[in-house]
Amino acid sequence: MINLEKIRQDFALFQKTINGQPPVYFDNACMSLKPLPVIKAINEYYNDYPACAGRSGHKLADMVTKKVAEARKTIAEFINAKHTEEIIFTRNTTEGINLIAHSLKLSPGDIILTTDKEHNSNLIPWQILTKKINVIHKIVPSKPDNTFDLEKFESMMSGQVKLVAMVQTSNLDGVSIPAKEIINIAHQHGALVLLDAAQSAPHKKINVTDLDVDFLAFSGHKMLGPTGTGVLYGKKYLLENLDPFLTGGETVEYSTYSGHKLLPLPEKFEAGLQDYAGIIGLGEAVDYLKKIGYENIAEQEYKLNEYLTEEILKIPQAKIIGPINPSLRGGIVSFYIESMDSNQIAMLLDETSNIMIRSGQHCVHSWFDAHNIKTSARASLYFYNTMAEAEIFINGLNKIIKIL
Amino acid sequence: MFCVIALIIFSILGIFSATHRALALEALDCVFRRVTFRPCKMDFKEKIKNKILAKLLNRSDLAARMFNKHFELLSWIFFILMVASTFYIVKGGYNYYFYGSCNGLNQSGFCAFDPSGENNKITQLNTAGSCSAKGQSEKDLTLSGVDLSSFPKITADSKNTIVFIGCYECDYSRKAYPEIRRLAKTEKTNLIFAHYPAVANTGYLSDIAYCAYSQDQEKFWALNDYLFTADKTKLSDTAFINQALDEFGFNASGINKCLGEPSAKNIIKNQFKELQKTKLYGTPTIFINGQVFVGPKPYRVYRSAIKKFIFF
Repeated sequence: MINLEKIRQDFALFQKTINGQPPVYFDNACMSLKPLPVIKAINEYYNDYPACAGRSGHKLADMVTKKVAEARKTIAEFINAKHTEEIIFTRNTTEGINLIAHSLKLSPGDIILTTDKEHNSNLIPWQILTKKINVIHKIVPSKPDNTFDLEKFESMMSGQVKLVAMVQTSNLDGVSIPAKEIINIAHQHGALVLLDAAQSAPHKKINVTDLDVDFLAFSGHKMLGPTGTGVLYGKKYLLENLDPFLTGGETVEYSTYSGHKLLPLPEKFEAGLQDYAGIIGLGEAVDYLKKIGYENIAEQEYKLNEYLTEEILKIPQAKIIGPINPSLRGGIVSFYIESMDSNQIAMLLDETSNIMIRSGQHCVHSWFDAHNIKTSARASLYFYNTMAEAEIFINGLNKIIKIL
Repeated sequence: MFCVIALIIFSILGIFSATHRALALEALDCVFRRVTFRPCKMDFKEKIKNKILAKLLNRSDLAARMFNKHFELLSWIFFILMVASTFYIVKGGYNYYFYGSCNGLNQSGFCAFDPSGENNKITQLNTAGSCSAKGQSEKDLTLSGVDLSSFPKITADSKNTIVFIGCYECDYSRKAYPEIRRLAKTEKTNLIFAHYPAVANTGYLSDIAYCAYSQDQEKFWALNDYLFTADKTKLSDTAFINQALDEFGFNASGINKCLGEPSAKNIIKNQFKELQKTKLYGTPTIFINGQVFVGPKPYRVYRSAIKKFIFF
C-alpha cells in the first residue's frame, strides 16, 4: 500500500492550481509527471558537473562518466539484463525501433509480423522497409474484444518470419500481449522478437532474461524520466552483430582517412554527444519506480480504472475500446461517445474541470481507419492519481454530456 | 474562414487583453497555415467553440446545448453582423473624416469620434442665444434664387466659392469662421460673407457690416475677423462697436450717415429677405460650391469639399 499523499508531494504539478482549480492529469500514456528527485538529479548535472562523459579526463568528466555508467547499470538491473552493455541509450522508443529496423539484416521476402494496433513508431519503419527492400509486413488481427489472438499468431508463424515486432501494451486500449508465449513460439520458428515496451515499462515489471526477448525498446518520459530519453535493450550477441544506425563521434576507437574501428557495445550505437542530464534523470526515475513497486502501481491503476469503467458504462452513448474488464486494460480507458467528437470531450473536460486527457487517434491511425471509428478520448492513469481525481473526471464527463 | 474572422476579432480585442492577444496569434498561425495549404495545428474553430461552450456549461445546460447544436448558424449570424458592423465602422470613419460626423454630412446622431456632437451644433434662429444640436432638414437649404450680390465678398477669380452665413455672437459661427477664412486664403477661393443675426440683439451688426464694407472693403475684413473673436458679451454694446470702427480706421460719421440712408436700409432689408430664401434654420450655414455644411466642421471637411475628396 502506498502513501499517496506523501508521494504526491514529490510532484510539483499537484501543488499548483490552474484557474483556481487543481489539475487532474490523466494523460500519463503520453507523458508522465516528473518527481522532484528526477528534477534534482538533472539540475545537479547542470549545476555541479556539466561536462562530457568518456571523452575528457578531468574530474567533472569522470563524474559524468560514472553517473552515466551508474544509470546504465540501474536500468540493466531494472529489466534484469545480463550485461550492462546490452542497454543502449536512445532518444525514445521510436529511435530504438528504428535502430533495429535499419540495422537488422533483412532480405527480400522476409516476413515481419506486427499486431493490428501498433503505434506508428512500430508500423511506419516496417512499411518503409517493404518498399525499400521488399520485406513482407503481415499483421496479426486481434480478437473481437481487441485482445491478442495467440492461435492466429501461431498459425501465421513460419520459417519465413524473421522478426516479430509487437507492442507489449497498447497505448490505444491498454491491452497487453502474452509476450512470453509469443516469444517462445517465435523462437521455435527461428524468428527474433522486438517488443515496443513504451507503455509496459512504466506499469509492469519487465524481465528480459525471463522473457528471453531479443530486443526491447522503451521511453523515459512515460516512466517519470526526462523527455528525450529512451532505452533499447538487445541481447549482447545480437547487438554485436548489428551495424550501427547512426555513426560518428563516440562510436569509434580511432579513425584514419581511409577507415575506422568501431567501439564495442554500447558505445558503437550511441553516436554523438548524449543527453547526460536525461540519462542520469532516467536512472533516478527507475530508482523512484523501484521504491514505489510495480504491485502498488498495478493495484492503484486497477482501482481507478475499475471505477472509471463502471461509471463510463453508465453513459448510454459511451463505448469503451478494448475489453470491458478493466484488469485487462492496465491504466488506460479509451472511449468514445456517439454523436460527440472526442476532441470536444477532451477540450471541454480541460476547460470546465482542468482535466487533461488525450483525444484523437493516439498515433494508431491504422486501427481507427480499419475499424471506421473517428477518434477516441483516452484517460490514462498512473500510480499518483487518486480516487478523488477519478470522481472529478466522472463528474466532469457527466456535466459535458448534457450538451447532447 | 473561421480563423480569418477570429484573427480580426481577437486582434481588436488583443489591443486591450493579453489573453486575446495569444488567441490572435493562434488565429494568425492558423490563417498562415491555411493560406500555405497546411492544416492548422489544432482545430482552432473547435477550440474557440469549446472555450465558449465551457463557460456556458458553468451557467446554463440549456444554453450550452443550444449553442452546441446551433453553433454553425450562430457563427454565420455573428459573421454577417461582423461584416455589417465592419462596413458601418468603415463608413462611419469615412463620414467622420470627410463630413465631421459618423452619420454623414450635417447628421447629428451619436458619433463615437465626436460624442458631444460639436461638429453639428448650430445656433437656432430666434432662440435668444441658446445653442442647440437640434436641426431641421438640410435638404431644403439652397442658394438657388438667392441674390448674394450685395454681401461682402472676396473675389479671387476662383471657380470655388464659399458662402458663409454666420452670426457674430453665436458660438458655433465663431468656431467655424476662422476655418473658413483660412480655407479661403489657403485655397484662394471666392468668399461671400453674410451676417444673419440668430441672436436678436445683434441685428444691428448686419447694418454696421454693410456700411463698413461699403466704406472700405479691406478694412471690413479686418473688422469682421475682429468681431468674430472679440468678447461676445460686448457685441450688443454700441460704444464698443464704435470704438472698434474707430480702431480699424473707419470714418464714424460716414458709417452713421450710411446707416441713416434709406437706400442702405432697403438693401439691408433685402439682404435679410434673400438669406431667408436659403431656408436656413441656424448658424453657421456654409455653402461650398453649393454643398451645404451646417454647424462648425473640422477644417479637413471644408477642405475636402474644395479638393473633391468626397465620393458619396
